[in-house]
Amino acid sequence: MPLLDIAGLTVTFGTDEHAFVAVDDVDLALDEGAIVGVVGESGSGKSVTALALLGLVDFPGRVSAHRMTFAGRDLRAMTEQSRRALIGKDIAMIFQDPLASLDPCYTVAYQLMEALAAHGTPGERRSRHLRRSRALELLQQVEIPDAAARMRAFPHQLSGGMAQRVMIAMAIACEPRVLIADEPTTALDVTVQAQVLDLLLRLQEQRGMALILITHDLAVVAETAQRVVVMYAGQQVETGPLPEIFAAPKHPYTQALLAALPENNDERARLQAIPGVVPGLHDRPTGCLLSPRCRYALDRCHRDMPPLDGPPERKVRCHFPLDAEGRPTGGWNREKAAEVAASMPS
Amino acid sequence: MTEPPLLEVRDLARHYVVSRGLLRRKGLVRALAGVSFSLAAGRTLAVVGESGCGKSTLARQVTMIEPPTSGTLLVEGHDVAHADAQVRRRLRPRVQMVFQNPYASLNPRKTVGALLEEPLAINGIGAAAGRRSAALAMLARVGLRAEHYRRYPHMFSGGQRQRIAVARALMLHPRLVVADEPVSALDVSIQAQVLNLLMDLQQELGIAYLFISHNLQVVRHIADDVLVMYLGRIAEYGPKRDLFAQPAHPYTRALLASTPTLGAGARRVRAAVQGELPSPLDPPPGCAFHRRCPYAVERCAVDVPVLAPFRGVAVACHRVAEINP
Repeated sequence: MPLLDIAGLTVTFGTDEHAFVAVDDVDLALDEGAIVGVVGESGSGKSVTALALLGLVDFPGRVSAHRMTFAGRDLRAMTEQSRRALIGKDIAMIFQDPLASLDPCYTVAYQLMEALAAHGTPGERRSRHLRRSRALELLQQVEIPDAAARMRAFPHQLSGGMAQRVMIAMAIACEPRVLIADEPTTALDVTVQAQVLDLLLRLQEQRGMALILITHDLAVVAETAQRVVVMYAGQQVETGPLPEIFAAPKHPYTQALLAALPENNDERARLQAIPGVVPGLHDRPTGCLLSPRCRYALDRCHRDMPPLDGPPERKVRCHFPLDAEGRPTGGWNREKAAEVAASMPS
Repeated sequence: MTEPPLLEVRDLARHYVVSRGLLRRKGLVRALAGVSFSLAAGRTLAVVGESGCGKSTLARQVTMIEPPTSGTLLVEGHDVAHADAQVRRRLRPRVQMVFQNPYASLNPRKTVGALLEEPLAINGIGAAAGRRSAALAMLARVGLRAEHYRRYPHMFSGGQRQRIAVARALMLHPRLVVADEPVSALDVSIQAQVLNLLMDLQQELGIAYLFISHNLQVVRHIADDVLVMYLGRIAEYGPKRDLFAQPAHPYTRALLASTPTLGAGARRVRAAVQGELPSPLDPPPGCAFHRRCPYAVERCAVDVPVLAPFRGVAVACHRVAEINP
C-alpha cells in the first residue's frame, strides 16, 4: 500500500453557483522513499494540490476526495488536533520563496527550535538545551557554513540559497516521511539551484523520505524524479514513470510542452509554441480543457471531457492518446482534425 | 571605410557608492569593471550570469539611463559616455528596452494605445492620427489585434503583456533592443511564443539584441555570441558555438553543469561548485571566482586575471591553458 494515497482530490473556491474548480479529480500515490514530480504551468493547480494535502486550504476553499490516506490513516476523518500533530511532523513542506516563508522578526535558531518544541521528541519538547543542540546539528546537516554563527542570524542576513537551506532544516527537523517541495529552487541562481537540489536528493536518500517535487521546470523533474504527474488547468492530464513519460508522452499537452523547450528545437529555428493561453476562471472550454490549444482536437474533444484512463502507473486523460511515435490513436484522423480546426473561431 | 559596429564597449566601468549605515564608512560597489565587447547590427549577444553579476547595470549603461563611471560606450560610432545632452537625446531612441516583468513594466492606468504612442509623443514624432496608425500597425506586427488598442494592461495575459512591451520598445524603430530577462517570468508554452516573436522581428527588421538571461537553454537557442559575467567582470566571451561546445572558464563550466537538461537521461543533478556569489561590497581579492573554483591556486587569490584570447573565445582565467589541454 502506498504511503500517501489520494484519489479524486477536488478543490473548489467560490459559491455553489459560481464555483471555480482549482483542482479537479487528481489521483496521487506516493510510496515510501519515492520521488514524484508534479509539473505544470501557472494556474495548473500544483500548489493548491499540495496545500490541500496539508489541510491548509481555508474557507471559502473546499476540499473533497474519494480517498485520502497517509500510512493507512484517513486524512479526511481526522480531527483537527491529530491532523496538526501529523502535519509538520510526518508531512513537511518547503515553499518557493524562502525569505517570504521565514519570519523576519526571529532568528534562525528560534524558528528551528519552535518547530522542535511543537513536534520534536519528548526530550526535545522538554529541554531547551536539547532543542538548541539539535537545531545546530540540523544546520550542519543542510551544509550551512559556520552554522554556529548562523544560528543567531535573522532571515534578512541570509542569501536566498542559505534561507532555503534553513527552510529545509526546519522541514526535516522532525524526520518527516513525506517532504513536499513547492518550487524549491525557482527563486535561486542556477549554481545554487543545483546545490539545493543535490542536498534535497541526498537527504531524501539518507532518510528514506518520500519527496513530492512541484515545479514548472521539466528539466529539473527529468533530473530528479522517478515518476511524474503532469497537470493542466487543475487537472491531471498524464502520469507515468521517468524517463518513459518524457521519451514517449501519451498526452498532447506533455508532448507540446516538451516540444516548446529550446533544447528540443534546432538552434535559431522557430520554437514549436503552444498557441493560446491556459484557460482562466471565466473562459473554461467545454469538453477537454486543452481542446482549444490542441493540434489534434476533434469534435469529440470540444464536446466531451475525457476521463483519466489507463493502468495506475500510466494514466492519461485524452480521447486519442499518443502512441510511441507520438501519433494520436483511437480512430483519430488527420482530415477530420483539419476540418475541425478550420471551423473553430481563432 | 567600414561601418562601425552598432555597439562598441571598451573597458566600461560603473561604480556605485552605497551607504552601509549611519556611522559606517560608505562602501563602493564595482558593479561593472573592465567590460569590453562589440555587437553588430542584426546580431544577438547574450549576457549570462547570476544575480549580482552586473547584467542589469550593463543594460542601464547601454540604454543611456545612467552614464558609466569610466570607459567608452559607442553607439553607432558616437561616444555616449562623453557626448553632450543633445547627442544623447538623438541616440536614445536607437536603443530601447524590454523589461523582465510585464506585470510591472506597463502602466496600469494607460491603455495599450497610449502606452505605444507615448515614446512617439515624447520624441515629438508625427501628429496624433499618424501615431495612432503607427501603434495599430505595431500591434498587428507583434500578433495582437486592433481591438486591443483601447484595452488596459490588466486585461491581458503575461505573454500578451510581453508582446505589448516588445511593441512599445519597437515604436521608435530602434537598431538595438536590450531585453532584460524577457521570458523568465513566463510559462514554458508562452516563453516559446515570445522567443519566436523576438526572432521573427529580428529577421524582418534587422534589430540587434542585447539579451540578458540566466537561462542557458534559451541563450543557446537564440544567441550568436555569449558574454559570461561574474561579479561585474567578464569571465568568458565568444561565439555561442565555441562557448557551449568547449566552455573554457571554470565558471562557464559550472553554469553549464548546473543547468538541468531533459536529455540527461538518468543523470542526477549535482552541485557543480560550492558556495554562493560573494558580496559585491566585499569582493574577494584576485579572481572573484577563486573561492568557489575547483582549479584555484595561490596566484588566483592575488592577481586579477585579464581577458585574453583562447581558442576562438576570450577568457579571464590564469590557468585556462592548463585546465583545457
